[in-house]
Amino acid sequence: MKARPITTVKTVVTGIEAAGTGIKLLTLADPDRWELPPFKPGAHIDLHLPNGLVRTYSLCNEPADNTRYVIAVKREAEGRGGSRALHDEVGIGDVIGVSLPRGGLEPDARIGRYVFVAGGIGVTPFLSMARHLERAEQAEFTLHLIVREEVPLAAHLGALIERGRVVVHRTSRTGRPDLATLVGEGGSETLVGCCGPEGMTDDFERVTAAWPAANVHIERFVAPPPVIDPDAKPFTLSLARSGTEIQVRAGQTMLAALQEGGIDIATSCCGGICGACKVGWLEGQPVHRDRILSPYERERYLMVCVAGSDTERLVLDL
Amino acid sequence: MLDTINTGPAQGAAQLGWTGVVRFLHLTPRAFLPMRAADKINLVAGRGIEGDRYMIGNEEGFYSHKPEEGRQVTLFELETLVALKRDAGIVLGPEEHRRNVTVEGVPLNHLVGRRFWLGETLLEATRLSVPCRHIEEITGKAIFDPLINRSGLNCKILQGGVVKVGDIVRNAA
Repeated sequence: MKARPITTVKTVVTGIEAAGTGIKLLTLADPDRWELPPFKPGAHIDLHLPNGLVRTYSLCNEPADNTRYVIAVKREAEGRGGSRALHDEVGIGDVIGVSLPRGGLEPDARIGRYVFVAGGIGVTPFLSMARHLERAEQAEFTLHLIVREEVPLAAHLGALIERGRVVVHRTSRTGRPDLATLVGEGGSETLVGCCGPEGMTDDFERVTAAWPAANVHIERFVAPPPVIDPDAKPFTLSLARSGTEIQVRAGQTMLAALQEGGIDIATSCCGGICGACKVGWLEGQPVHRDRILSPYERERYLMVCVAGSDTERLVLDL
Repeated sequence: MLDTINTGPAQGAAQLGWTGVVRFLHLTPRAFLPMRAADKINLVAGRGIEGDRYMIGNEEGFYSHKPEEGRQVTLFELETLVALKRDAGIVLGPEEHRRNVTVEGVPLNHLVGRRFWLGETLLEATRLSVPCRHIEEITGKAIFDPLINRSGLNCKILQGGVVKVGDIVRNAA
């Protein structure tokens, strides 16, 4: 029995490989080499680092390679600390919890041409896509890699460069290429993607502004703030028995806020039908959203996994 | 009248009863990991399935922080997968529902509180499974609502043994 719920996929570091100046390739696997949760080409995972930081990295290996997650980490000395921890503190055999993979490209038979533009280490999400597309042979694709001089992950890109699938643009020699020329004409059969520093992704966004949104895929190094329901409002939970106040952010569940505040709540379905997280409420006006409480019960109880609040302050019997 | 089910002989020629079969077996050692198909699994009385995440004493499942005796082995109806495709257009494979044993011809919702044979093993059903948001997160499919009231059965193992695909499932009077 575990005291706390398991919230991440347990992996161990099985490989660390130098892959260019300041770049390491880390391989994560299940302790028993069981298959890992599947992912789409270009997907990313959150790493829950031993020091408490949570950082997102693109998966570089192919989806078919399903017992490993391979990530490329560039050491950013002036960064927020995630890449330094992975470079300086993490070793073979260390256990790292990761999230389920998110994002990536849905296979789409209608797309006949892919053009990707990557800046430096921004090449990582396109590595798995390039390998996947080359193997699938269903569409033409080109990955334009814009670097100052050195090609990151050179050993892993060499064959793709030789075959002309990856075109390297060295700005130290030829200046910055024109993005509009690289992506060419838009159309419903063309999908373009960009990952790189902010200036590059902003330029790319301008160049493709008139394209259908579904045909443009942009990844930024720093995730944009999460999209929150415009009608969602923050509110305060006041816990009558313990005298504690807990802030619930707009769009956050009451359950998540309580758990963040160290309050232990029994949960099971997290969808408002099992009844495990039933809690009494005393003042305020809950928005119920569950599917098991009767109107009579709703006058006294709510389900913290799905309930919200119509009032700025809601008093719970906790 | 509704506290017990009358299992006595039916009037006239009506034959009450059912017989089912094990169609698929799946397990996984840890939360979130894909379920892997097996031809046979080993049930240990009072504990769980060897190598599965909910084996008592060696638990690494998503719900392992909530102890439960009846989670030693879980079952799911093949008929539900057929109905999901037929009625909701949702293709859910037997490896995706995350229960261990997919059976055909077994009225799981009728078995709560009853004992039945799964191959050579004897199980006692403790409660209906409930769908959970976790399974939507893992499969990426909106199956929470369609699975309400048909997301399987939780059982404890009274008598262990090896269960194989093709084994017969039958009532233990």
